[in-house]
Amino acid sequence: MLRLTNLRKRFGDILAVDGLSLEIRAGEVFGLLGPNGAGKSTTIGMAVGLLTPDEGAVELAGIGAPTLVQARARLGVAPQTLSLYEELSAEENLRFFGRLYGVDSSRLTERLAAVLDMVGLTARRRDRVKGYSGGMKRRLNLAVALIHDPPMLLLDEPTAGVDPQSRNNILDMVRDLAAKGRTIIYTTHYMEEAARLCDRVGIIDKGRLLALGTVHDLVNAHGGKSVVSVQRNGVHERIETDDPARETARLLSAGEVQGIRIDRPDLESVFLSLTGRSLRD
Amino acid sequence: MRAILALALNDLRLLTRDKAGLFFTFGFPILVAIFFGMIFKGDGGGSALEIALVNEDGGPASQAFAADLLADESLHVLTQWGREGERQPLARAQGEEMVRKGSVVACVVLPKGFEEGAGGMFSGKSMRVEGLVDRGRAAEAGLLTGKLNELGFRQMSKVMTNPDQLLKTLGSARRDINASGLDSSQKALFGDFFTSLEKLNLGAVPATDGGGGAGGDGSGADGSGFNWKPVEVTVTELQVDQDKPANSYEISFPQGVVWGLMGCVAAFGTGMATERARGTLVRLTMAPLSKAQVIAGKALACFIACILVQLILLALATLVFQVRVREPVLMGVAILASSLGFVGVMMALAGLCRTEAAANGGGRAIILLLAMIGGGTVPLFILPRWMQTASGISPFKWTTTAIEGAVWRGFSAGDMLLPVGVLLAFGLVGFIIGTATLRWTE
Repeated sequence: MLRLTNLRKRFGDILAVDGLSLEIRAGEVFGLLGPNGAGKSTTIGMAVGLLTPDEGAVELAGIGAPTLVQARARLGVAPQTLSLYEELSAEENLRFFGRLYGVDSSRLTERLAAVLDMVGLTARRRDRVKGYSGGMKRRLNLAVALIHDPPMLLLDEPTAGVDPQSRNNILDMVRDLAAKGRTIIYTTHYMEEAARLCDRVGIIDKGRLLALGTVHDLVNAHGGKSVVSVQRNGVHERIETDDPARETARLLSAGEVQGIRIDRPDLESVFLSLTGRSLRD
Repeated sequence: MRAILALALNDLRLLTRDKAGLFFTFGFPILVAIFFGMIFKGDGGGSALEIALVNEDGGPASQAFAADLLADESLHVLTQWGREGERQPLARAQGEEMVRKGSVVACVVLPKGFEEGAGGMFSGKSMRVEGLVDRGRAAEAGLLTGKLNELGFRQMSKVMTNPDQLLKTLGSARRDINASGLDSSQKALFGDFFTSLEKLNLGAVPATDGGGGAGGDGSGADGSGFNWKPVEVTVTELQVDQDKPANSYEISFPQGVVWGLMGCVAAFGTGMATERARGTLVRLTMAPLSKAQVIAGKALACFIACILVQLILLALATLVFQVRVREPVLMGVAILASSLGFVGVMMALAGLCRTEAAANGGGRAIILLLAMIGGGTVPLFILPRWMQTASGISPFKWTTTAIEGAVWRGFSAGDMLLPVGVLLAFGLVGFIIGTATLRWTE
């Protein structure tokens, strides 16, 4: 549905994206996972035609470059930076952006009600945005991306800086949208979100795509072994194993155990293995 | 103390990182100081009033008066018109036309009879000087009236200190006084006065015809007593419509319009920077619109606001303050042209002032500078001559001219072409600068 081919983008001395190629399939939730400054937002910026790549190309299937008006009408973007008119109400913001995307009046009223309900802002629809909490603003930022009901969504760190309740709300929304067949590109530096939501994940660091695949495949390929940590007879042991269940059973049957913990490999382990650094470094 | 110092140094460091903030903290005040320094440095070149001089009399006294006017450093006097090489002395009609178009502050006319007035100043006659001033230049008109009086009395002083001319003038005065209807005691007093003047200046007493006065009937020459007024300066305001009285709000209305437009430009010029900083410009860029459409939408909003502010002011002026618009069609043209011109200014500011700080500080400062140069804050005549010439780069000047032209200057469609053309050029150039320099992302 969206093909990024050998994208390269430099800002002065900083090479933000370095030869990145990706193909997003229709109907999938694709996660772009990487630490802050990895090049995720720059990649999204080029994908939506906001930034012009120094090299490479972006193509929306059947339409062409994302700078084309027809391509933009099919994209819904929630930028990482909140992009809302704070002096206007949620309803006014949504109506304004809906009109920009050419949604006709009757359809707009319908969509307005639907997205406000989806993001849980129906009761506050007429309040000015500047009075909203951070989480409410994030949800409205997402709602604006949805107002024209686009088939493809690009969500750039949609949970940045929100409280756990709003985060869960947003994650549920993304899952619902995916269930309705929307294609979603989701950037995050939270590996838990990528693991929960994404069909496939691309791991990006220093502008380069390091690995690409399903969470399961990535963990199997790069995550290493599970670690069973056990405390017995006052001694702490750390055992690496491919089968933590069997190892745990063995340890428990061997004698008295004061404490035991299993650490399975995850996307954090994958990133550590690929870069030698933690995602949160 | 260390913490306080650290805070202070950090704030100063932050200031150095914000180039716009740095400029408006240090650079702009220096520019303003230089600007006012140049205005008030008092080198004589900055405050010359530009006037037209029409000499209808042509006698020696009027020529001497004209020479005084020409020599005066506080005046810049135009005495001729036409192209280089084909210059002709100004006639009253041309002088009045120059005032009407606002190209000079006033037209000074030395009418026929000036010579006779100069010769008969001790016998109730006056050197008559007529001035026709631009209604919108009241401050300059006041200065001009004072200047003409000063020069008139200087002329009188020349007569008093020139023995031949004084003798001639006193002889004429004796004859006129004797022939007048003044009573004998008044005639005697004048006779003594003239004799004393002759003694003081010439050391000689001419023969008199009655020791200072012939008999009279006790009344003044005109039946209302003697009113000695050797210099008579009459300054009147230019009236396009002689049938109806002038309204001072007609003068202030164009100024109000200009400041209203300035408010629109300041508000919309900063709006783009604010949208950029808040990220909403990014959303607009990602919407299925061309950049030209986004720019056109922004420009249209500013244009509508400019039109509205002018219409509101016009409605207020006409309905409440009885301002009469003599040329309603030209007024409509002036409103459209000034709106387009100021939209161009807004676009240029939106493109050039890239951050909110630059837009808030710089944008307003640039507008203020344009207002200053264009006569929106200080009268143009105060500015140095080169700055008066440079006022042409300010849309404030041309908007004021166009609106005054429609309200009270009695502009024809041809007269309106220049200000309207310049305003449209401002709009076009500003639009090009704005679109070429506009940055879409933070």
